[in-house]
Amino acid sequence: MLRYLARRLIWAAVLFIAVTLVTYVLFFLIPADPARLVAGKAATDADIKRAAHFIGTDRPIYVQYAKFLSRIVLHQNLGHSFANRQSVNSIVGAAAPVTASLVLGGAIFWMLLALPIGILSALRPRSLLDRASMTFVLVGISAHPIWIGLIFAYVFGYRLHWFPITGYCDVINPATDCGGPVQWAYHMFLPWATFAILFAALYVRMIRANVLETMNEDYVRTARAKGAPEWLVLRSHILRNAMLPVVTMLGMDIGLALGGAVFTETVYSLPGLGKTAVGGLFNNDIPTVEGVIVFATLAIIVFNLVVDLLYAWIDPRIRLT
Amino acid sequence: MALLEVRDLKTHFRTDDGVVKAVDGVTFSVEKGQTLGIVGESGSGKSVTCLTIMGLNSKRNTISSGEAIFKGENLLTMPSNRLRDIRGNDIAMIFQDPMTSLNPVHRIGVQLVEAIQLHRDVTKKQARLRALELLKAVGIPRAERRIDDYPHQFSGGMRQRVMIAMALVNDPDLLIADEPTTALDVTTQAQILKLMTDLQEDFGSAIILITHDLGVIAEAADDVVVMYAARIAEHAPVDNLFKRPHHPYTWGLLGSLPRLDADVERLVQIRGQPPSLLNPPRGCRFHPRCPYVMGICKTVEPELGPAGDDPDHVQACHLDVETKDREAAKVLAGTMAEAS
Amino acid sequence: MAEATAPVAAATNGGVRGDELLVVEDLKKHFPVTRGIIFQKQIAAVKAVDGVTFSVRPGETLGVVGESGCGKSTMARCIMRLLDPTGGRIVFDGRDITRLSRAEMRPYRREMMMIFQDPYASLNPRKRVGFIVAEALEVHKMGTEAEIKKRVQELLEVVGLNPEHYNRFPHEFSGGQRQRIGVARALAVNPKLIVCDEPVSALDVSVQAQILNLLKDLQSSFGLTYIFIAHDLNVVRHISDRVMVMYLGHAVEIASRQDLYVEPKHPYTGALLSAVPVPDPELGRQRRRIVLEGDVPSPINPPSACWFHPRCPRFREGHCDVETPPLYSFGDGHVAACHYPLERWPMTEEEVRRPMSGPA
Repeated sequence: MLRYLARRLIWAAVLFIAVTLVTYVLFFLIPADPARLVAGKAATDADIKRAAHFIGTDRPIYVQYAKFLSRIVLHQNLGHSFANRQSVNSIVGAAAPVTASLVLGGAIFWMLLALPIGILSALRPRSLLDRASMTFVLVGISAHPIWIGLIFAYVFGYRLHWFPITGYCDVINPATDCGGPVQWAYHMFLPWATFAILFAALYVRMIRANVLETMNEDYVRTARAKGAPEWLVLRSHILRNAMLPVVTMLGMDIGLALGGAVFTETVYSLPGLGKTAVGGLFNNDIPTVEGVIVFATLAIIVFNLVVDLLYAWIDPRIRLT
Repeated sequence: MALLEVRDLKTHFRTDDGVVKAVDGVTFSVEKGQTLGIVGESGSGKSVTCLTIMGLNSKRNTISSGEAIFKGENLLTMPSNRLRDIRGNDIAMIFQDPMTSLNPVHRIGVQLVEAIQLHRDVTKKQARLRALELLKAVGIPRAERRIDDYPHQFSGGMRQRVMIAMALVNDPDLLIADEPTTALDVTTQAQILKLMTDLQEDFGSAIILITHDLGVIAEAADDVVVMYAARIAEHAPVDNLFKRPHHPYTWGLLGSLPRLDADVERLVQIRGQPPSLLNPPRGCRFHPRCPYVMGICKTVEPELGPAGDDPDHVQACHLDVETKDREAAKVLAGTMAEAS
Repeated sequence: MAEATAPVAAATNGGVRGDELLVVEDLKKHFPVTRGIIFQKQIAAVKAVDGVTFSVRPGETLGVVGESGCGKSTMARCIMRLLDPTGGRIVFDGRDITRLSRAEMRPYRREMMMIFQDPYASLNPRKRVGFIVAEALEVHKMGTEAEIKKRVQELLEVVGLNPEHYNRFPHEFSGGQRQRIGVARALAVNPKLIVCDEPVSALDVSVQAQILNLLKDLQSSFGLTYIFIAHDLNVVRHISDRVMVMYLGHAVEIASRQDLYVEPKHPYTGALLSAVPVPDPELGRQRRRIVLEGDVPSPINPPSACWFHPRCPRFREGHCDVETPPLYSFGDGHVAACHYPLERWPMTEEEVRRPMSGPA
């Protein structure tokens, strides 16, 4: 086990370096010059040169990267934004909870939707319910989150006034005039629904397929042969096995989404990681973008590791090597 | 009164291609403490017959008719909760593939305890003790440790023993074993068959043994039903079946077996393959493949009638008794020759 | 750990006569078990095949029998060079093919073909039957398109199928018919050797007989040599001239068909023979059985010295677990790896436990 963890951690470090390095190099290859942006519109060449020296872009790329890496590892400092000199730690620190609220809340939302629909469709294949849910799946996967978001915002926000159209409220700190859990959930409801639809569709399909497959397994027949009632067969034998792959997919998808649920954040103007990253790209703001990438990479690595460990724990056949 | 009496059992499946008549009029009975062997090839309906008796077919698109009288009650028409009381309790079933018949994520102790607690009002502790008792009875070494192992930690033969233990845990009157040794090696098969016959003596249960292997039938069965294309071709006590078989399909089966103890130059071939159950042949279902086919075989389906003067031996074939006796003797001579 | 393996002479019927089609010497195939953080280091090996020596003469059928885990399928794949052997030598038609490269092996692939167990999995469901049978012919460029098509139709007829079905897909055929397609495919390039890996195990008994008869007929028509692998002793008896019994990656007995079934020498062979159910109730009741205890041990950690000793009813402590038995010769090409071979057959379990004679 320890050997396995050691191996995973080493690979995690390798992955981390690879991802951040590639991003750094890509920025270097882009012809825009951040020093120019930092210096401002009316800058002279001398000003730009001074700005470049200040933000460190006059050094060679590998020096910049080495400084960046050592700063992260030794000081946990992500640097300062080229655009507004704000500490990237604080930028990411402010955006991350927003994305986390969206993703984690969205995950609960989509599982609450997908589980019953998926299981019931599998238990009654080809029924009306099944056909309806498969249609839902098709629409959910095909329709773009932006489109869904706009429709929801228009219908439920603008027309029916059931939910606010944009904006985010902190759960705990009522910094602005909105705050606290109720306001938070109220503002997040439509974003959750939008974000969840795509994943719910994917998961309905997966859960349905898994349950259908498990239902035909020999050990389910054995359970019935023992005289078990259907609910026990479902709970103890079918679901217990069918949900194994769902758990792992869930972990991976959450990890991935924490990187920035860009479309949903854009539609509802949520100041999350996605919006932050996109903004940074437009400004050639390497530190901010790198900051988001660092966070996202770490999130994915951690979640994947947790998922693998979890899977080994719930499925006794798996032995981590 | 027989323990189980099956009368004119039929099971039809509605599929996209039509109605598959998987079992089409099967009648037999099982006595207490006896072993009935059901032998047939794939598509003969032998497994579906027993799944129907146990009520384990999927409800959708399945039509069953006929009777399966167990201790006075008809299993096919009883309410499902009563049937569930009987399943795993008075009638138990074990299946072919021990690799997949146990839930891989539960320990075997848990699965055994589940089997017990479904039908007996006992504590987990008591159930566990009973489970241990059975595991020892089926020959699992170090049962106290192995009861907490997972199925994948057992070999095929051991898993089948666990299945047998799980089936016998509530002292059933009838054990249905669907090809219990087909997926096992031959030495393991010998162990399992011996185990089953020993346990039958200890527990006093009747066994229905489904298999395609006539050797297993000869070793383990008292009474044999030969099924072909969803119907019974022949039904006889085991000695009679092998000494005086009275159906061309049985002759073909016996003749097509390569022998361990004799040199046979060319095996008897039954030409063609088993018929479609969507559209079985008119008349006798075996007629397209039968070397003795007559005109009447193509139009009139033969009924199960006595084979000569033995009341326990019935067969469904239009040939006359003399021809059958003659052919039976030929088969006997051909296959039982030069036993070393 | 010196292993006393038999001299090649003992296994090749009294000396390498030079006319054997296939000679296998001390064949080994180990699958490594690795461990390590970044760099995988081998800590153990699954010894699937661990020193097998035998030969096959042209025109004969060598039956290979053994239970799961004995290595018979792995051995077959090594002979066909579908796997690379870890050790030993394979000499086919006089040429050492053990370490030939892919390119060098290509002409030999025409000479040895294989028939597989699962008629449902071994045919590509997306390809038509004609293509499946013709593929080897096309790869080896054995004729024009028209000639190949004609040959395929001939082959279909030879194996008992309708040549008009050239354009059908595998799923339109039954299991037995699919196996016939597999046979046709193997025959297409006129091989010298056909390795049959459990070709009838997945078939019904009545269909099994058809395929066995077909294989026998083809052997006499085309002068084929077979290596026939099966776990069913009845089937092996029917079709083989000589039989090799494998256990845990080793050959424990090799004999002519008559000798093996009538006078087996190795206790494992005896146990196998007595375990097979016989379709004769009276004989079955009279028969005296040897029932083995326990399971086959793991090939990662095989027992010391004689591989069968933990389950052997004749086990002699101090001898069988210390000294590996070589393939002792019993004359006429009959060899068995046992210090205390069976004196006669049949024997009851009690008799088996008490070896009369000393070591062979």
